[in-house]
Amino acid sequence: MTHKSITDVKYHLQKANYICSKSVATVVFLAQATQKPVLVEGPAGVGKTELAKAVAQSLNRDLIRLQCYEGLDEAKALYEWEYAKQLLYTQMMKDRIDEVISGSTDLNDAVDRIADQEDAFFSERFILPRPLLQAISSPEPVVLLIDEVDKSDPEFEAFLLEILSDFQVTIPEIGTRKAVKIPIVFLTSNNYRDMSDALKRRCIHLYIDYPDVELELQIVKLKIPGIKDRLAEQLINTIHEIRNLDLKKKPCTSETLDWAQSLIALQVNHLTPEIVTDTLNMICKYRSDADLVKDNMETITKNAGLECSI
Amino acid sequence: MLDLILNFVSCSRASGLRISSSEVLDCVNQLELIDVLEEPLFQSVLRSNFAKSRREQAHFDHLYHLFFHEMRSELSIPHSNELSELMEKALDSITAKLDQDPSFQAILDFLQGDPLGYLEEMRQLQSDTDGDTPSGMPNAFGPLIRRLQIMSQINGIGDGLARFMANNRQSIAWEDRKAMTIHYDERLDNARRMLREDPEPYDDGLKKVTTYEKHLNQIGDKSFFSLSKKEVEEMRDIVEQLVRKLKDTVQRRYSKHKRGVLDIKKTLRASAKYQGVPIEVVYKHKPKRKGKIVTLCDVSGSVWTAAKFMLNMLYSLQDCFLQVRSFIFVNELEEVTQTFQKHDINIAVDKSLKEAEINYQASTDYGSTFRQFKREYMDILNKKTTLIIVGDGRTNYSNPEEKILDEMREKCRRIIWLNPESLVFWNTGDSRMRTYQRYCNEVRHCQNLNQLLDFIKTLVL
Repeated sequence: MTHKSITDVKYHLQKANYICSKSVATVVFLAQATQKPVLVEGPAGVGKTELAKAVAQSLNRDLIRLQCYEGLDEAKALYEWEYAKQLLYTQMMKDRIDEVISGSTDLNDAVDRIADQEDAFFSERFILPRPLLQAISSPEPVVLLIDEVDKSDPEFEAFLLEILSDFQVTIPEIGTRKAVKIPIVFLTSNNYRDMSDALKRRCIHLYIDYPDVELELQIVKLKIPGIKDRLAEQLINTIHEIRNLDLKKKPCTSETLDWAQSLIALQVNHLTPEIVTDTLNMICKYRSDADLVKDNMETITKNAGLECSI
Repeated sequence: MLDLILNFVSCSRASGLRISSSEVLDCVNQLELIDVLEEPLFQSVLRSNFAKSRREQAHFDHLYHLFFHEMRSELSIPHSNELSELMEKALDSITAKLDQDPSFQAILDFLQGDPLGYLEEMRQLQSDTDGDTPSGMPNAFGPLIRRLQIMSQINGIGDGLARFMANNRQSIAWEDRKAMTIHYDERLDNARRMLREDPEPYDDGLKKVTTYEKHLNQIGDKSFFSLSKKEVEEMRDIVEQLVRKLKDTVQRRYSKHKRGVLDIKKTLRASAKYQGVPIEVVYKHKPKRKGKIVTLCDVSGSVWTAAKFMLNMLYSLQDCFLQVRSFIFVNELEEVTQTFQKHDINIAVDKSLKEAEINYQASTDYGSTFRQFKREYMDILNKKTTLIIVGDGRTNYSNPEEKILDEMREKCRRIIWLNPESLVFWNTGDSRMRTYQRYCNEVRHCQNLNQLLDFIKTLVL
């Protein structure tokens, strides 16, 4: 099953609890229609990983996730031979192997006979598929998420190219494995380093920014159904005011949600500057940031329409 | 439709975006799947195919707006044949009068709705600013003069058009005249604005570090500039201690790493010696990747003190990196790697100052330094290199050459800029920190030992 149109994408993602802008929906739709991977960039916490999850959920597909880090190599990403199993099998079949070589006249002959059998040990049976191989050999179409690809080494990035453009991998002992069903691929990046041109060329690029006021309001209302309209509005306005400050780390969408959740837990009905100050550690994760927000509380109060308690 | 896209692509290429033909193909294929009449969709398709990093997006947005909004303004004019004929006549009248400079032709094309030549002209202005002035002195005036020339050409064309209008008062109806004047004024304004404002990349990927842990209380907070001679000695001891500690930490990490998981492949191979009994057990031991470091240090008075301590630390920690290469500069570049490798740090610092063929009297020139780096050392940067620049970003009003910095960023893993100046003085006077920081991955304020330590720690660990 794939999405039929851009509105269809939007509708289904919303059903999967993910509200997105039109440009996000466009890219997701095009990625399915043209079978291209999507490279998602954006600040931390705007829902890059969440997008892949939502797409998987809305299409009823499995999500296979590969978390990248420095030092990740193909043995952990693609496949590995199960040496222990191979060893076990050779031990158990010692007699059979003896039988095979029993009639041989000399050493060369014996080696030839063994060589005839070696395919048995380097076959599908002894391969341990890792996320990438799993994704392309799955009989059901899946969603493949390659998370934080910028954290991986440049070598690994080059190794991804074959998979991303042709949806196939080459295993020296067996041959080339083509994808059974072409997966939808998402790569996320945090701008830790620039990706190579070769990788970028193969992907559709999507930049997710902090959502605008209306969109974020929708998100909060969807994720936290019990929230009052007035509180939600104040909350979003405050967050947007705080994002305008020159902070070390701007509060992201997921932190907005956490904050809203904690305000509900505190049974707050409307925001006052005091409540914002008290709960600031939900959204500001550095002390200097929190201080900056406190210093600017007056302008925030005015612009976000908070209620001053007298 | 196809022509329009291709035209846009060639304009984008002319202004420096790299777009491959496969990306154009993808884009055209994708456009067939969407409703192109809905502009946000159209834009996001183009954007996701042509601008594939955040830093390119600002440039793309600028071009998109120019191409699809401003250059299309003729559509709003009642487009009778008569009027377009008149317009051509007006432009011809100017062509006849003025000289045939290529940039002049480019401006005329721009007026007629073909921005290709003009964009190319703008890009050249931004990129090859290697000051080819007659005097042979590289300075910021070369590109400035070029800009002035173009500006005066634009004004010349404006005057020419006005004269044409005045001369033909009788023959052209006033509505037509008005429409033409408005149209051309708009275009000329666009051309002038593009000349004045360079598009700059979004820099929200930039990491800006301004707060620090406090490692040492008194001396650690003291600015490098205000250290007395005795304190400098004291500082050296402290640095030595700290470096030893840091080395220990790194070593510990390595030895722990050595244990790792069982390497079955190698264990099996080793067991062949003992008839298949695994007597020697081999662990997977993959040494952690070490980075290469290239440092560029401004040695003009103000910055040198900080740079000295940083080099000191870097070289004491040499085994934590694959390679450290260092350069010092004032207005030209000199490699001092050898000096630092051969000699003890204190001697090396003195030696590099005395023996380097650098004119210390000259004023700092980042532009010419970058140009020289590009000419001679660009090949030492690769995807494993971290480029550290220590400097205050004060260019003495010469050409900052930030485009070269951009090229350097493309080649290396990341660029970290350490600025020993107080934060309040950044971007004042001739400091071009704002320009440079857009092209760096990380900008750090590095005025005292605590801040330096913080930096070295994140670099090594």
